[in-house]
Parts: sequence; C-alpha cells; structure tokens
Amino acid sequence: MSDRLLADWRQHALTLESEVNKVVVGQSNPIRLITTAIFARGHVLLEGDVGVGKTTLLRAFTRGIGGGYQRIEGTIDLMPNDLVYHTYLGEDGKPHVSAGPLLMSGENLSVFFFNEINRARPQVHSLLLRVMAERTLSAFNKEHAFPHMIVFADRNQVEKEETFEIPSAARDRFMMEIPIVVPNDDAIMQGLMFDTKFHNVDALVDTLKADVLQFDQLNSFSGTIQNSVEASPTLQKYALNLWKATRQPLDYGVKVSNVDMNRLVLAGASPRGMSMMLRAARVNAWLNERTAVTPEDIHAVFHETVAHRLVFSPVYEMRRTEIAREMLTSIINAVAAP
Amino acid sequence: MKKLLRTLLTLSSITLLHHQAYALETDFLPDVKAGIVSIHIQEPERDVGYTVGDVLTREITVTIKKPYVLVEESLPIVGYERRYKGQLIGIDLSKLDYSKESAKDATTHHISLSYQVFTNNVVAKPAALPGEYLRLLDTSSKDKKVYRYRIPSWNFSISPISVFGQVKIEQDMSGYRGPLLLDASPLQTRLTVLLAVLAIALLTLLYMLGKYTWLPRMGGPFAKAYRSIRKAPHTAEGIQGAASHLHEALNSSAGYSLFSNNLNAFLAKKPAFQHIQAELAQFFELSRQVFFEPNADKPAGEQQLAWLARFCKQCRDCERGLIPDSLSTTRNSATRKAA
Repeated sequence: MSDRLLADWRQHALTLESEVNKVVVGQSNPIRLITTAIFARGHVLLEGDVGVGKTTLLRAFTRGIGGGYQRIEGTIDLMPNDLVYHTYLGEDGKPHVSAGPLLMSGENLSVFFFNEINRARPQVHSLLLRVMAERTLSAFNKEHAFPHMIVFADRNQVEKEETFEIPSAARDRFMMEIPIVVPNDDAIMQGLMFDTKFHNVDALVDTLKADVLQFDQLNSFSGTIQNSVEASPTLQKYALNLWKATRQPLDYGVKVSNVDMNRLVLAGASPRGMSMMLRAARVNAWLNERTAVTPEDIHAVFHETVAHRLVFSPVYEMRRTEIAREMLTSIINAVAAP
Repeated sequence: MKKLLRTLLTLSSITLLHHQAYALETDFLPDVKAGIVSIHIQEPERDVGYTVGDVLTREITVTIKKPYVLVEESLPIVGYERRYKGQLIGIDLSKLDYSKESAKDATTHHISLSYQVFTNNVVAKPAALPGEYLRLLDTSSKDKKVYRYRIPSWNFSISPISVFGQVKIEQDMSGYRGPLLLDASPLQTRLTVLLAVLAIALLTLLYMLGKYTWLPRMGGPFAKAYRSIRKAPHTAEGIQGAASHLHEALNSSAGYSLFSNNLNAFLAKKPAFQHIQAELAQFFELSRQVFFEPNADKPAGEQQLAWLARFCKQCRDCERGLIPDSLSTTRNSATRKAA
C-alpha cells in the first residue's frame, strides 16, 4: 500500500513539476528543488535579481498545491504587526481591525511569500523566526496555527542600500536558499522577450492545472516519505563526514582560493541544517524512484541546504555566495563515500 | 737405429735422383715449334704487397694444335718444393685445377695454379711465381717425339710484415697485415637490436601482467587495488571490500571523490577511461546496491568478485594507456546473477 501511495504521489509531484516548467521556462533545477522543499516541508529563500520570475514561480506552485497564498513586501518601515493585522476607519466612522497577511487565510495558508525580506527590520525577522520554526502565532489573545504553511522569501544579494542582513538564526530556519538566475539558453531568452504569453502573468498562471496536490495532505505524506526512504550506515557516515567538513574544513583538506581557511569558518552547518539536508535528500531519492538515499541525492541538495547556514568571518561575508559555493564543492570533492 | 738410418739414406737418394731426372728430362727436350702452342695468362691483380701466407693464383689457358697433345703428367705437382740454385724459393704450389676442351684441330687446356708464399724478409724483395715446363707429344711422328713448352714466370714483390727495426709489432699494426677478418658489425648491430626488442617485449609482458611495482607506473592506484581484490574472499564482505578498494583507486586517480554524477568530468579529464564508460556506470550501480541500499539483494559470490577483478584490471590498463579488453560477456552474466 505504501509503495503504491509513494508511486501515486510521485506521479502527482512530477505532474506539478511539469506544469510549472510550462509556465516558468529555463528553471528546471530550481523547480525540482522547490518541489523537494514542498515535500520535505521546508521553507525556501530565493536569491536572485529583479524580474527573473520568482513571484511567477511561487504563484505557479501555489496554484498547483492549492490552499491560501499570501504575500507581503519587505520595506524598511514594515513592522511585525503589519503581518498580523491592520487597522482602518470603517464607513461607520469607527476603527476596525482586520487580519493581516499571516492570518487572512487561517489554517489553510499554504504559501506565504515574503518579497525582499532583507529590506525588513530585524523585528520583523524575529516574528518570522517563530512563525517559520513553530508555524504558530500569538495574536488577539489566541494561538493561531498554520500547519500547512511554507514560507518563501526572496532577497537581492547585490543591492545593499536600506537593507538589513538576515541574521544567521533566521537563515537557519530556511531549508534551502535557491539561486534563480536568468536562463543561458538563447532560445529561451528570446521566447521570454517575444512570446506574448509571458506578458500577462495572471493569465499565464491561470493556464496551469490547479490543485495538482492536496496541500492539507502534504504534512502526513511527507512523514511517509521520510519513514520509507532509508539511509544506510555508509551513507550516514558519509553525511557525518560532510557535516564535520563544514565545521573543520582544513581537517579534510578543503581549500578555497585566496581565502585563509583558518579564519574563514566561524560556524559550520547546524544540526537542524543537516537534518533538513537529509530530509531533502530523502525526498530527492523518492522523486528519483529510489528507496534509499545515495550520495548523489545529498549532492543534489547540498549547496542549497547548507550554503546559507555557514557563518563566515566578516571579512569574507561580502563574497559569501562565491566562497560558499567553492567551499562546498571542495567538500564534496574531498569527502569520499564509501 | 741402423735400420732407420738406412731408410733415411735411401729416401734421400731417391729424392735427389728424382730431381736430377726432372732437370734432365726438361733440359734436354727440344722446344716446340712456334705457332703450335698459344697461351693466355690471367695474372694476379697486383704485383706488390704480398707477404707470408698470401695465395696468388694464375689462370692459364693453353691451346695446343693437333697432332700435338699435352702430356698431363707434366703438369706441376701440388706441394712440390721449388728451388732456385739449390735454395728453396719459399713459393709452393698449393692448388691446381685443370680442365680441357677438345676441338677439331686443337685442344684447349685451362690450368689454374695457386701458389702460397712461405717466405718473408725484413725489407721488400723481388720474387717470382716460377715458370713451368709442359711436355707435348707429337702423335704424328713415328717415334712419338716429345717437346717442351715453358709457361713464363711472373715477377712480383714480397713485403715484410712489419717495418724493419720495429721490435714491438703492436706499434706497427697495419690493415694489410695478418688475416683479414669478416666484418661482423652488421650482424652485431642486428643482434643488439633483436636483444633490445626481446628485452622490451619481456618488460612489456611483465608490465601487462603487472603483479609488481618495480617498473614505472606499475604502482598506480588500480594496480594496488587489483592486488587487494585478487585476495578478497568470495563473500558479501569481500565484495564490499573490493568495491571499497576500487572507489579508493578511482578517487585517487581522479584527484577527487568520484561519484556517478561527476563521472563525465572524470572522463573528460582522463579520456583513456572512455573505453570502459559502460563498465564504470555498472560499477557505480553495483556500489549503490552494496553500500547504500540496506534492503537490496547484496550481490555475493565468485562471479561478482571476478567481475570486479576484471573491471579493476581494465581500469589498470586504462591507467597505463592501454586499450582494455571488453567485459561485455562477463558483464551480462554478472548482471544476470545480480538480478
């Protein structure tokens, strides 16, 4: 029964991927990673330039998953309560309070998109920290739960004016940080310019098959995946070595060009981070019709689940994307399995 | 003793008488008339530079008109010591070849006379190949009259084997002196080349068999892994150990940890391994079953281990720049067994 369930859901997942790939072209790898995060029940931080299709991508996924979709723009004057409620004077001349984006969909909230998260103040990050970790919120003397919610946030790494660096504790709540870049393929780039179907995002997203997945069943099915896909002792040892290499890269002979490795890493991957990496790797194995995790499954999610958790010396923070990528590639090359 | 002395005396007398008789025989015979005999002599190429031991050959063609015939017994005798004024001249006839051709009115005789020089001197001295007398019989006369015909002598010079006054012969070595040796250098060169080819062939054979590490590039990671795999037991643990050795060798050869998802980069870096691309993919499939799928049927047995050993040997051949043998047949059987 479990095998059949796994196969059926896999078919749904691949259908969702295929549908989203029709709407957002040239982003097959990010789409696979977001699918993985959805089934691993992890929050996603999207990193990329303006206008590369991040919002369209999320809206497409939301339509495929079903459930509520809410969005908020990060600004320097955004306060935590702006996420929870807003007040206004009604037609009756009296003050009214209505639910903010977090509370508007109630328990059915499935995707919460925080646009330009690094423009919001640390107070907002702090609120989000709790919501992401516990999927609950205390407001109006009541505990609100969002059991099916996944947070997608995006940030622009290039622009630094009027931005706040997301603290490492908040970054660690995200399962993945996925780079979204402009496709390299000339045909795709040309299509994005001249194909009129990309001009109207609302109409484009509406072409996508709705409710391919049932958002309220994802939590329980995610548990099924995690319990079904195995990790052998050899794989566990390999993952452990990867983790240790993020903490003590010199012990594994890891080097990054023009970087003093003795000073680079202040903190390696966290236990939560490695646990999330294995969750994502299990989902990747399931998507590839395997019953056990292999090193290749870990590699498929390694950069995206670990890079944003590493804490570097401040002197190297400006180059963190480039250094993290080189360091993690070097770790994969240095650690053997078996 | 007396008997011996008597025998020696008798032999000496006979020899002396024989010489006397020969001299008398030719000295008193009349010369044949001119026009009866015509002669052509092919003398040696040069008339100087001969020394002790050298052989000089005269090719003589004598045509005798009929009714005169050659008394063949008058031909020179091989080994006969020639004397001049009672002294041995030191030039002996060492070989004689004779043949004749009869025609209607004449007979042609081909006489090849080879003389060997047995004398020498401290300075160059004149010498001569002696003249020889032939006897001719006039068959038309009633009393069978005999005539003589003289083959002329031929003058040449005998050279010393060293410069006069030299005590140490080694200081005056000459290319013209002593026996001429055959030139063995082409044969020696050929022998050297063949020995070199043999040595290279033997080294190549040892290299390919590759059991040891005392030749260059024989201590490669796959050569070491191959030695370990050959000793592995035919159990699931043995296969696991063998696969582990192969992973180590692949990582060592690549310079980084090799997985199925970076195999293409490895093949681009080491094109020699492209010959076994399919086998590499199969190895990673086998490794996945062995190490990462706890519930998979663990391949075990002699056949899988033999396949791993052969695959390792293929990798070793690739490592050495050789083109490995195909494993397609063994691969199929191993896959069936694993399935």
